[in-house]
Amino acid sequence: MKARIFEIKRFAVHDGDGIRTTVFFKGCPLRCVWCHNPEGLEMKPQLGFYQHKCVHCGACVTACPQNAHTLQGGKHTFDRSKCVGCGKCENACLNGALRLYGKEMTVDELLPLLLADREFYETTGGGVTLSGGECLLYAEFCAELLKRLKEEKIHTAVDTCGFVSKSAIDQVAPYTDVFLYDVKAFDEDAHIRCTGQSNKRILENLQYIDGLGKAIEIRIPYVPQYNQQEIQSIAEFLSKCKHVKKVQVLSYHNYAGSKYDALEMENTLPKQLPSEEEVRTAQACFDVL
Amino acid sequence: MIDFALKKRYLTTEYEKPNWIIESGLSLAELTAKVAEFEKENDLPKALIKAKTFELLIENARIAIDKEDIFQDKFLAGNIMAEQKRAWRKAVEKAYLSEETEETKRAWEQFGAYSAHGDYSHISPNSRLLMEVGFTGLLQRVEKAEKRGGLTQKQKEFYQSCKIVLNAMITATNRLAEGVKEYNYENYVALSNIAKGAPSNLYEAMQLLTLYFYLHENVAGARVRTLGRLDFMLYPYYKKDLESGRYTKEEIKEMLKFFLYKFWSAKVLYDLPFCLAGKDENGGEVTNELSYLIVETYNELHIYSPKIHIRVSEKTPMDFVKLVLACIRQGNSSFVFVNDEIGTETLRRVGVEERDARNFIPIGCYEPAVWGVEIGCTGNGGVTLPKAVELVFTKGKDYATGLPCGVETGEIRSFEDFVDAVKTQIAYMAEKMTHYVTEIEKHYDKIYPDAILSCQYDASVERGVDVYEGGAKYNNSSCYFWGIATLVDALCAVKKLVFDENYLTFDELWEALQADWVGYENYRTLALHLDEKYGNGNATADELAVQFSKFCATLVNNKPNGRGGVYKAALFSVDNNVYAGARLMATPDGRKAGMPISKNLCATPAMDKNGITALIHSVTKMDHANFPTGSVLDIVLHPSAVLGESGLHAFYGILITYFKKGGFAMHGNVFNVDDLRSAQKDPEKYANLQVRVCGWNAYFVNLSKVEQDDFIKQAEHCKLF
Repeated sequence: MKARIFEIKRFAVHDGDGIRTTVFFKGCPLRCVWCHNPEGLEMKPQLGFYQHKCVHCGACVTACPQNAHTLQGGKHTFDRSKCVGCGKCENACLNGALRLYGKEMTVDELLPLLLADREFYETTGGGVTLSGGECLLYAEFCAELLKRLKEEKIHTAVDTCGFVSKSAIDQVAPYTDVFLYDVKAFDEDAHIRCTGQSNKRILENLQYIDGLGKAIEIRIPYVPQYNQQEIQSIAEFLSKCKHVKKVQVLSYHNYAGSKYDALEMENTLPKQLPSEEEVRTAQACFDVL
Repeated sequence: MIDFALKKRYLTTEYEKPNWIIESGLSLAELTAKVAEFEKENDLPKALIKAKTFELLIENARIAIDKEDIFQDKFLAGNIMAEQKRAWRKAVEKAYLSEETEETKRAWEQFGAYSAHGDYSHISPNSRLLMEVGFTGLLQRVEKAEKRGGLTQKQKEFYQSCKIVLNAMITATNRLAEGVKEYNYENYVALSNIAKGAPSNLYEAMQLLTLYFYLHENVAGARVRTLGRLDFMLYPYYKKDLESGRYTKEEIKEMLKFFLYKFWSAKVLYDLPFCLAGKDENGGEVTNELSYLIVETYNELHIYSPKIHIRVSEKTPMDFVKLVLACIRQGNSSFVFVNDEIGTETLRRVGVEERDARNFIPIGCYEPAVWGVEIGCTGNGGVTLPKAVELVFTKGKDYATGLPCGVETGEIRSFEDFVDAVKTQIAYMAEKMTHYVTEIEKHYDKIYPDAILSCQYDASVERGVDVYEGGAKYNNSSCYFWGIATLVDALCAVKKLVFDENYLTFDELWEALQADWVGYENYRTLALHLDEKYGNGNATADELAVQFSKFCATLVNNKPNGRGGVYKAALFSVDNNVYAGARLMATPDGRKAGMPISKNLCATPAMDKNGITALIHSVTKMDHANFPTGSVLDIVLHPSAVLGESGLHAFYGILITYFKKGGFAMHGNVFNVDDLRSAQKDPEKYANLQVRVCGWNAYFVNLSKVEQDDFIKQAEHCKLF
């Protein structure tokens, strides 16, 4: 059994308690306009090409079995349609201009990487977080991975958008210490505007997890022009949940621009950033819960 | 109690333009002439000349009375005694070691290979005893020891010099007491009391420390590099004064402000440190109410000197450590954390008894030595590890000058040959370095007898032998090794490029290094991007780091020095990484000629690609208890990583995990790369941005461009997102 992973981040301090290692799974059912991990949206592997790092050495041209890379007149062009995501060019590129997002990994391959920082988890109450993309698109894999982590007595967190099947939740819940759960809007139309999908299933699943008695941390990416009107109703909805331990309003940032360019994806990032004051005001709605 | 805020302006400049009282003594020119005349007319042993010079200065120098301050200390003595020490050292070098001195100077100033010198500048007084018994108590102890009879001439002279300096200390105290009497009666009473005995309250204790420091450092020309465990020493007075109602906590805080600020406004060289927290010699935790108060007060002052060592044991309260981490997070980088357990263990390994080992203090930067019991000359110099790589290629010659500098090692046919040859060169440099130090130490009696220090050391007083002639219980010296990451990366590159993957031959690599990689850019790129790099959890690199660190430690630890003690190895660079790097040709790891080598225990800048946790795993594979003169890891964190309560907890986790895994010392810098870049462009706007250079702090804008770039590279690397 394998899953497609696009990043493993050690010393992650924003994905749950303590120092953690976060695993990012590739593929996501939502298309949030503000997505800051565009490399995690598609299920298939994607090559990121960071032009500013390219020194036009031609190593990738030689390495690529598909002839996807060409170097003509000192200009490097990459034909994405030919790329099968084998990663050979990434290894050949010493300057870090090419980066393959999405590598097949087994639980056995992942586990030692996730246990490496065990001592840091222990001193801070940290652990491992599965994120993405949407990790629960690989529910069976995640369940196995989480089970093995629990056998090693590692604290586990699952960061999900909630747009998944109940069975996916059932599979991972026994081995999950805390769910990091994204809520983006309460109104269905607003949610469709934000993410392209209805939030019906998301809110149901949240209640379902709450019913399981699992600890939940809610994370609300805050992009005022999209979900400012939603904050109050989200707060009301959450007040009915019994196991929400924490609600965090995450200030939207637009640092991800270069990743959209590298992947030749249309950059949908809103230009306007929330002010600190706006974020504080939004957060305050939940601090009274 | 006087309000500190009202006096701050005066205190800031009190050491720049003291109000010398003209009629109180001689001008500096008159005083200098008087000392010269005295030296000319008296053919006495150096110990006595020195003691009498001190006495002469104390009796004749002008004093200044600080009406705005609550502590007195100033005598107009210029650099007379520091110059005297310098002249005596020069004379010894000329008479006994002229060739060796020349050779050693060349080895450092031209080749950047190793540095070696006598060290009389890491003074660590027995401040604890001084607090307990005062100048008069020290005098009684000397008189008692002297009474035993059967003394040699030299012992008699030793005791005589001790008595002279202690009486001079008392005279100094009385002179200041008289001077301040009409302006500040409380200060007068305090000074009069400490002229007669031990301090009896917190105010007197702080006045005694301040005065002692000034007299030893500024009049006697010593370099006092620690005043010891401040919270431990002062707590009994603190407790007593609070209980008796003598002072309120607010008043004590106000006094602390005056006290701490003095060391700042005096611009003490390398920021004289104090130590706080950690275990005492009986295994109990020292951290007390005063520890918190000192850190809080210090942080409110917005100063970065004195720097403060924090000893951390498994019993040190988390909230105390976090209080300090929060200061660092705010931009005050004056704190260094030191691991209690490793500090103790490392001293055991060089023969220090259990109780003594537990009672270590970090001297200067981070060097552990037994408080008031060990003379740890912790700044004797050291060896540039990556220079050994150059010397293997050149077969023992400095590349730039062609002059002999190492051993003529043979042909290299395998990686094992290379490793052996590098070890031979390191061993040669370490031998040269320690040989010079040992030789000059045999002449310390003619350079640096120190009665002021000796009379505080039990063993010295019992034996009647100066601390710098082996009079202390432990009389140790040091040898540093710097550039461990550059060495390891260079070894890995040779292994991979030449012997494992055959990208190029050994001779071709040598061509590339001589060309400073020009024309070999592709190979340089390869070398720079190898996975086998120090600090990344790479097995090959980690194994080499372990192997070579152990090799270095074994070369010098417990090797006898010239004063009846032993050498203690250190694994950090201070700022020598820039100086030595400037004199080193290109190295196989892709480094260009003249660039800095790696600093302290850090990875080569930007080469710790797997982040801070991987760096810590790699660094702690080495046995840090093998370095009794210390080792230190500098970490740079982005402000977003340490934001809020959870960020502070993560910061704590990094520190504590480093210690649990056997690291010895750590200092943290928190800043983002954009600030550093802006500061480089617009220094005036960022005048207050501090960074920790090594054992001391500095304003970023005052660093050289090379050093600034190093910090920028490191910070660039710790960006989150």
